[in-house]
Amino acid sequence: MAYRIIFHVDMNSFYASVEAAYNPNLKGKPIAIAGNPEERKGIIVTSSYEARAKGVKTTMPLWEARKLCPDLIVMRPNFNRYRIASKEMFKILSEVTPYVQPVSIDEGYMDITDCEQKGSPIAIAQALQQKIATQLDLPCSIGIAPNKFLAKMASDMKKPMGITVLRKRDLPVKLWPLPIEEMYGIGKKTAEKLNQIEIFTIKDLAHADPPTLKRLLGINGERLQNRANGIDPSPVDPEAVHDFKSIGSSETLPQDTTDENEIRKLFRHLARNVARRLKRKQAVGRNIQIMIRFHNRKTITRSMKLPEFIEDEEEIFGAGYALFEQHWNGDPVRLLGITIQDIAEKKEIAQQLDLFTYEVDASKEKLYKAIDQLTDKFGKNPFIKLNNPIDDDEPRTSFQKDFLDDYRD
Amino acid sequence: MKFIIQRDQLMDSVQDVMKAISSRTTIPILTGIKLEAHADGVKLTGSDSDISIESFIPKEEEGIVYIEQIEPGSIVIQAKYFPDIVRKLPQNTVEIEADEHLKVTIRSGNSEFHLNGQDADEYPQLPKLHTEDSFELPTDLLKNLIKQTVFAVSTVETRPILTGVNMKVANKELDFVATDSHRLASRKIPLTEETENIAFSSVVIPGKSLIELNKILEDTQENVEISVTENQILFRTKNLYFLSRLLDGNYPETSRLIPDQSKTIVYGNTKELLQSIDRASLLAKENRNNVVRFQTKTDNQLEISSNSPEVGNVVEEVTAKSIDGEELKISFSAKYMMDALKAIESDQVKIEFTGAMRPFIIRPIDNDQVLQLILPVRTY
Repeated sequence: MAYRIIFHVDMNSFYASVEAAYNPNLKGKPIAIAGNPEERKGIIVTSSYEARAKGVKTTMPLWEARKLCPDLIVMRPNFNRYRIASKEMFKILSEVTPYVQPVSIDEGYMDITDCEQKGSPIAIAQALQQKIATQLDLPCSIGIAPNKFLAKMASDMKKPMGITVLRKRDLPVKLWPLPIEEMYGIGKKTAEKLNQIEIFTIKDLAHADPPTLKRLLGINGERLQNRANGIDPSPVDPEAVHDFKSIGSSETLPQDTTDENEIRKLFRHLARNVARRLKRKQAVGRNIQIMIRFHNRKTITRSMKLPEFIEDEEEIFGAGYALFEQHWNGDPVRLLGITIQDIAEKKEIAQQLDLFTYEVDASKEKLYKAIDQLTDKFGKNPFIKLNNPIDDDEPRTSFQKDFLDDYRD
Repeated sequence: MKFIIQRDQLMDSVQDVMKAISSRTTIPILTGIKLEAHADGVKLTGSDSDISIESFIPKEEEGIVYIEQIEPGSIVIQAKYFPDIVRKLPQNTVEIEADEHLKVTIRSGNSEFHLNGQDADEYPQLPKLHTEDSFELPTDLLKNLIKQTVFAVSTVETRPILTGVNMKVANKELDFVATDSHRLASRKIPLTEETENIAFSSVVIPGKSLIELNKILEDTQENVEISVTENQILFRTKNLYFLSRLLDGNYPETSRLIPDQSKTIVYGNTKELLQSIDRASLLAKENRNNVVRFQTKTDNQLEISSNSPEVGNVVEEVTAKSIDGEELKISFSAKYMMDALKAIESDQVKIEFTGAMRPFIIRPIDNDQVLQLILPVRTY
């Protein structure tokens, strides 16, 4: 691939910064955004740098954060504000180039390879950072690199308001010394596995024995090693945000419980959330996964392939609760989640073939037939994509990516 | 200008030329109907500049007098009001008169209308076709060619050429083809001695023009003369002159997209299939693409079904005349199938499938001239 210039733009403590932009009195003070400041389930979703300086961390329970930082200002999330700010931010990015790939509410990649006439990459980054700071009063860090992975690592190196260039020749000095768990794409579980084969830094990974890696992590091992060596051919894809693979919702109970009524109620609520999001995406799914976290933070996920695509609350609740009953050992439950996977857009499900292009689809007919036959034989699609197990313990916020294309309206 | 005319004859002609008149034209005078009185009859003209229609009412025909007291002249009358006036006039005869101040008087019985007209000299001259390239077809045959194909034209402008019907001459056959890329309709007729020296090879006629033409043409065996130039086509009968522009561009080559072999062949009764699909589609109307599922079973049974999760489902078995070849499970748009079966105009059909993701072909059992092709819907 030809030489590329990729930006990764990462908003600094986004929710807290948006709150400070709305209310300048909050500037310079320790702010934390928490799920629910009153109840125990309140955990820190994000915090300002001032709070972080006192040791406040994301996912920390509220009481613990208050202990570390007694003058902490705790706020409930104002999702609407963040959404609007995010939309404006992506609008500014898309003024530079149409090649903007939002990855979450507060970060995105840009491919500025063809933006030479707008100045040097550093000049473009500075102008962009200034513009976001003056127009939205929000800080961000920008990583500049020849690919997405390095850009992502670079934006992390200097916060807030940093601009970091990471060239391939910088790898031995800037990237390789980092501990392996700081590498993007490596979660706790993967890091533990790598530690077992004596890989502790990114450098260790870059120089690891490929067959050993492959045995340990499969195809992903090869990809991670490439990245450690500064190779990441994945393009900046403005449409990638549409390739949603799952839609889910999870929530912590006010108290650990074994009360089935409580549990049913929460499942009902989660099913409603998921159904609403599916509807919004005009999507249906035919794999359901539930997550159960027990009082001791032990977490299990269980999933089931469904015979039909489902989309409404009743179906999701029915399938999800059945799965729960099957796998619940009776221990007190702290958090529950439902995720619908194997998602398809409705219009794809009944895809009208086209006279001038049907050959492309028809060429896969044999494959579909084979899958059908194997499905008959084995009862479920043997080629179902493996879902990456959730590596971290972090409960997902109610943010989904399903609005990240808003900025283009 | 003045004449007294039979109201019914006038009404028919008005309705014909109205097919060409659009209220949304960019040339204001085209919102009117041009009336021209000549010694031998009255001519009405309507046009939207894409289609132009002239309808001639002879002074007398087969001994019946339609028009009396003709004083030659011409005028353009507002098409917004004229048809309703003529329709509601109290008597069977109508007197129409226009003076030099362009005032039009319409009298019938005790009723008298005064309308402001426009100068006929300002009405655009219809282009006169200069071509030797013309041929004749019986009117009813032309109507059939249109009916069996025009419904399949595209109604969206993403590929403008597909909004037309491709009329082409190849292998001593005249072929009408229409496709919106989801289905294709084709009707061929062999060229006769009179038609075999047609010089054009392929033109594309706007679907809208053919729909209007079909409405106007009467179901007779009299001939229509068809003349083709580079950018226009003219259909002419004794009293009608129908001119349409042609679509620019090359029509895609469709013949190679039509499968020439099949894996499953179903023979069946057209009406039974049509009604069965109609029933199955009752529930499918709500669902995504009005999709029905079609499945071959043993003992010449076909299962036609549809499922709309919110509404319910329907399953129906139809007995086919015969089913040859591989088992088949396929889904398709009920609407396309019904359109095709209606256009077949034959009691028995032959449906040839080449797999669940490839186009299938519907033909009359005994006739290769009509071909309907449908692309299936891929479902999960």
